[in-house]
Amino acid sequence: MVGLPARGKSFISQKSKYIESIKTFMWSIILTIFKSVVRYLSWLSIKAKSFNVGSYRRQNHKHPDAEFFDIRNKEGWQKRQEAAEQAVTDMMNWFSDEQGVVAILDATNATRERRDWILRLCRENSIEPMFLESWCDDEKIIKKNILDVKATSPDYEGLNQEDAYEDFLKRIAKYEENYEPLDEIASKDLTFVKLINVSQQVIINKIETYLESRIVYYVMNLHIKPRCIYLSRHGESMYNLEGKIGGNADLSERGFQYAKKLPELVKQLAGDDHQKLTVWTSTLVRTQQTAEHLPYNQLQWKALDELDAGACDGLTYEEIERKFPDDFKQRDENKYEYRYRGGESYRDVVIRLEPIIMELERQENILIITHQAVLRCIYAYFMNVPQEESPWMSIPLHTLIKLEPRAYSTLVQRLKADIPAVSTYKERGTSRLGEIEDANNKSKHLITGEPVSADHPLAIK
Amino acid sequence: MSAIDSDDDIQSSTQIQQPKLPGNYSARISDRWSQQNRRDSINSTTIDGVHSKLSLDHIFPAQLYSTESGRLFHAGQVLIVLVGLPARGKTHLAVSITRYLRWLGVKTHPFHVGDYRRAVYKNFEDDIPQDYFSAVPKTEIGIKLRQKVLKDCLDGISNFFEIEKGQVAIYDALNALPKDRLDLQNEFGSKGIKVLFIESIVDDDELLARNVANAASSPDYIGWNPKQAKEDYINRIKTNAPIYIKMNEGNEDESALSFIKFINFGDRLIMNNSQYGYLINRIVFFLMNSKIKNGCVYFARCGKSDLDKYIDDEELNKSGLEFSEKLSSKLLNHVSKRKKLEKKPSFVNVVMAGGNHNLLGQSGTTNKQSIHPPFLSAYTNSHSNLNSNFNSNTNSANQSTDNLNIKHKIRQPPTADGSSEDSFVVWTATRKRTSSTANPFRQKGITVRERYQLNQLNPGEVADMTQDEIKSQFPDEYEQDLNDPYHHRYPRAESYHDLAVRMEPLLLEMERMSGDILIIAHESVLAVLYGYLMACSCYDIPSLKFPRNEIVEISYTPYENVARRIVMDDVEP
Repeated sequence: MVGLPARGKSFISQKSKYIESIKTFMWSIILTIFKSVVRYLSWLSIKAKSFNVGSYRRQNHKHPDAEFFDIRNKEGWQKRQEAAEQAVTDMMNWFSDEQGVVAILDATNATRERRDWILRLCRENSIEPMFLESWCDDEKIIKKNILDVKATSPDYEGLNQEDAYEDFLKRIAKYEENYEPLDEIASKDLTFVKLINVSQQVIINKIETYLESRIVYYVMNLHIKPRCIYLSRHGESMYNLEGKIGGNADLSERGFQYAKKLPELVKQLAGDDHQKLTVWTSTLVRTQQTAEHLPYNQLQWKALDELDAGACDGLTYEEIERKFPDDFKQRDENKYEYRYRGGESYRDVVIRLEPIIMELERQENILIITHQAVLRCIYAYFMNVPQEESPWMSIPLHTLIKLEPRAYSTLVQRLKADIPAVSTYKERGTSRLGEIEDANNKSKHLITGEPVSADHPLAIK
Repeated sequence: MSAIDSDDDIQSSTQIQQPKLPGNYSARISDRWSQQNRRDSINSTTIDGVHSKLSLDHIFPAQLYSTESGRLFHAGQVLIVLVGLPARGKTHLAVSITRYLRWLGVKTHPFHVGDYRRAVYKNFEDDIPQDYFSAVPKTEIGIKLRQKVLKDCLDGISNFFEIEKGQVAIYDALNALPKDRLDLQNEFGSKGIKVLFIESIVDDDELLARNVANAASSPDYIGWNPKQAKEDYINRIKTNAPIYIKMNEGNEDESALSFIKFINFGDRLIMNNSQYGYLINRIVFFLMNSKIKNGCVYFARCGKSDLDKYIDDEELNKSGLEFSEKLSSKLLNHVSKRKKLEKKPSFVNVVMAGGNHNLLGQSGTTNKQSIHPPFLSAYTNSHSNLNSNFNSNTNSANQSTDNLNIKHKIRQPPTADGSSEDSFVVWTATRKRTSSTANPFRQKGITVRERYQLNQLNPGEVADMTQDEIKSQFPDEYEQDLNDPYHHRYPRAESYHDLAVRMEPLLLEMERMSGDILIIAHESVLAVLYGYLMACSCYDIPSLKFPRNEIVEISYTPYENVARRIVMDDVEP
C-alpha cells in the first residue's frame, strides 16, 4: 500500500446507503418522505428503491388485528420477523445484483435488537446505514396522523372508520410497549436523523457524504400542506408552425389566443386556490407571451429554458436528418442520453432543473409555463416516469395540466383549451411531425392518458 | 419535513413590487441591474472580499432578483448569534456562512467583536485590561471596555438592519451566558428580526488543538511569536471555560429559542425550534457540508484546439495535448512539494513515487465517458466488494445483540470523492477539450469527474463571432453588454449571472472536499468560481483573467481565503 494511511483503501468501492425508518405513530409523514426520496433520487439517476416490510407481511396476513402486533403473540411475532427477513434479503440482493445505491427499508424497527441486527447485516456487506426516526409525544400531532393513516393504509381496506381507528390505537399501544427510541448517546457513531415532534427538534448525526446531506436537505424542504402544481407549455409559436426546433420565436396567432384564454383555464382548474398562485416562466419570449395575461406574481428562470439543440437549433427534423444523419439516428436510439452537438441532452436538463425541483418542493401553488422537453422532465419527477420513457411522452400544446401530490400517489387532471395547434410530437424513426395512431409507443400517452394498457405501472386510472 | 407553517416564505410575499412591465418582474433583465450608480467594485480582486462593506444596493453573483427593500422577499431578516468558547471556529463559521449567503444574493455581514475591540485599541499589546477577555470582567476598566465594545458591535448590527438594507447579520462573539442570549432575543425579536443561535461545541481534542494552532493566523497575533500567541490564546479559553454555560443547559427559558448546536464541526447538528425558513434550511445544508479545510482549490484552463470554436466542441490539437502534459507535471510537483512542507500525506505523493494506483483504488479513473450527473458519479459505480453470496443470516435476530461483534462496531469508511485529506480529485466540464486536458491525470490513476455544471458560458447567437462582428450585427446588445457584462444576456445566451446560478449546486460539494481539487474549465467558469471563493463583486467577475500559463491556487484560513498564481514558464499565455 506504499505508505498510504489505512483509510486510503476506502476508495475502493462506492458503497450504498440505506435509510431505515423507525416509525412511531408518524406513518403518513414517513410515507411521504420515503416516497418522495425514492422519486427524487431515481429522477437524478441514483438507483433507489423502497422495501416495505408491511407489504411482505400483507402477502400472508391481509388485515391483521392489533393482537397480531402484540410482542407476546408468538405467531404474530414470527410472521413479522419472517417478513422483515424476506425484505432484507431482497434488499441485499438488489444491492449486489442490480447495483442499487440507496435502499429504503420501510419498517417499524422499533427495538434496539432489531436495529442492531440490521446494522450488523449492513456492515457485513460494506454498507453504512442511515437511520431516520420520527419521534413524537405531542398528542395533537399523533391524533392527526392516525386520522390520515386510517384513511389510507391498505391494512384497513374495507373496514369501517371507527373500527379502524380503535384498532389502530390498540396497535400503537402494542408498539409503545416495547418501543426503544434511538439513543442519542449510544448511537453517536451511527448516521441518523431524528425528527422530534415533526420539526420542533431535529438531530442530524454523522453526515459523511454530500449525497446524505442532499437527502437531508431535501427532506427538510418537503412539506405536507396540500397544494397543486400546474404545468403548461407555451402557446403555439411561429417555429412550431414551421416545424423548427429551438429558437426564440414569437407566438402564432393561435398561440396568442391560448395566452388570452389561459387565465380562465387556470381559474377553472384551480378553483379558489388560484389567488395563491405564483407563475414561473423561462427566459424565452414565447413563455412570457403566454403568461402575459395572468394576474399573478411571476418569476423568470433561466433553468426553465428549452433543451438547447446546439448545432441543430432552428432546423426542422427533416433538415437534421439530412445534415446530421448519424446524430439523428443516435438520438432516436437513446434520447435521454443523446447530447446535441454543442447543446444539451435530457440528462443535462434534469441536472439544471434540480434546484427548481428543490424550490418547488418548498413552495405551495405554482404554475409553470415552459417547454416540451423541460415539461417532460418535471412531469417525470412528479409521476416517477423512467428515463427511457420520459423523452417520448406526448405533451400537446394548449393544454393545462394539474398535479396534486398525495401520500400514496399524485393525481393528474388535464384541461384542453379549445384552440387548435400543430403537433410537435416526433415518433421514433421518422422526421415527420405528428402522432401516428397505431405506433407501438406506450410512453407517448403517459400524460394524455389515452390508450395505455391498464396493467402498465404508469397507466392513469 | 415541516408540517408547521414556516414563518417567512409565502405569507410575506405582499412585499413584492408589482411588475412594471407585464410578464416579468425578475430584475435580471430589467435595467435596475445596470444603472451606473449601482456599481460597486469590491476594492481588490486579489484579496478575499468577504469582509468588505457593501453599498446599499449591492448585487450579488447568484442573486435571483432584487426588491426595493434590497432583501429577498421570501426570507425575513435574520440575526445569527454565534455562541461558544474561543477556538470553536466561530470566526470561520461567520466568514464561510457570509460567503455562501452573499453569493446566493442575501445581504449578509459578519460582525466580529474582535474587529470592534481592535478599533478601540489599535495595538493588541497596548493597555487592554486582561480581564476584558473574560465574559464577566472583574475590574471597572475591564467592565467598561467590554460594555463599550459590545455596544459598538451591536450598534453596527442595528445600523446594518435599519439603514443598510441588511438581511442577515452574523454576530461573532462569545455570548457565553443565558442572560446575554435572552437579551439578544428580546432586543432583536421585538424588532421583528428572527434570531437564530448557532452554538459551536468542540469536545474532540484533536479538532480543538487544530483550531488553537490556527489562531496564530488571527489578526490579533500579527507579528507575535507563534508560541506566545498560542499561550495567550489558551489563556483566553481558560478564563472563559468555567463561566460558559451551554445553550438550554442552565436556563429553561432558552428552550424557546431557535438554535442549532453544531457539534465537532458537523459531526452532529441539533436543531431546536428552527422551523425551516428558506434561509435556515440553506444554512443547515451548508453546515452539513462545511469543513475546516486543509486542502486547496486549483484552477486551470483547458488546452487549445485547432479552430477554438464553441459549436464544434473540438478535441485538443497537438499544442493542447502538450499543454495537458505540462499542466499535470507542474501541478503535481507543486502539490507534492506543498504536502511535504506541511508534512502531510497525499495521494499525489503516491502517484509521484510511481505507486501502484490500481491498488489505491481511486475508482472511476477509467470512466472517461462519465455521463453521470452532479455528485452522483461517485455513487454509480458498482459495489465491487459487496458480498454477492449474501446470506441474510436469518437466525441472528434471535441472538443476544448486546455484544455486537467488534467488526460490526466499526463504521464503514466514507467512500465519496475527497472525503480524506490526502485525496486529490480533478473536475472538468463535459466538453471535449476540457475533459481531454485531464487525461494525463487519469493515466496516473487520479479520479477525474466530468461535471455538466462546469460547461462554459453558453454564448447563444453570438457564438464564435468576433467583437467586431457582434458590434455590427447586434449593435444594441453590444452596448448593453458593455454597460453590464455580468447580467447582460445575448440572444439565447447565458449571462455570467445565469452561469453562477447554474453552478450553485457544485459549491457545497466543493466545500465538502477535505483534500485538494483541481478544476479545469473555461475562463468564464473559473471567473465565477473564483468570484465565489474570493467574494468578488459581480462587476469584477467578467473581467477576471485566467491566462493559460497560470494555475490559480486558493487556500483557506479561518479569517479569509488566499489566492496566488503559479506560473508555467514554458506555456504561452
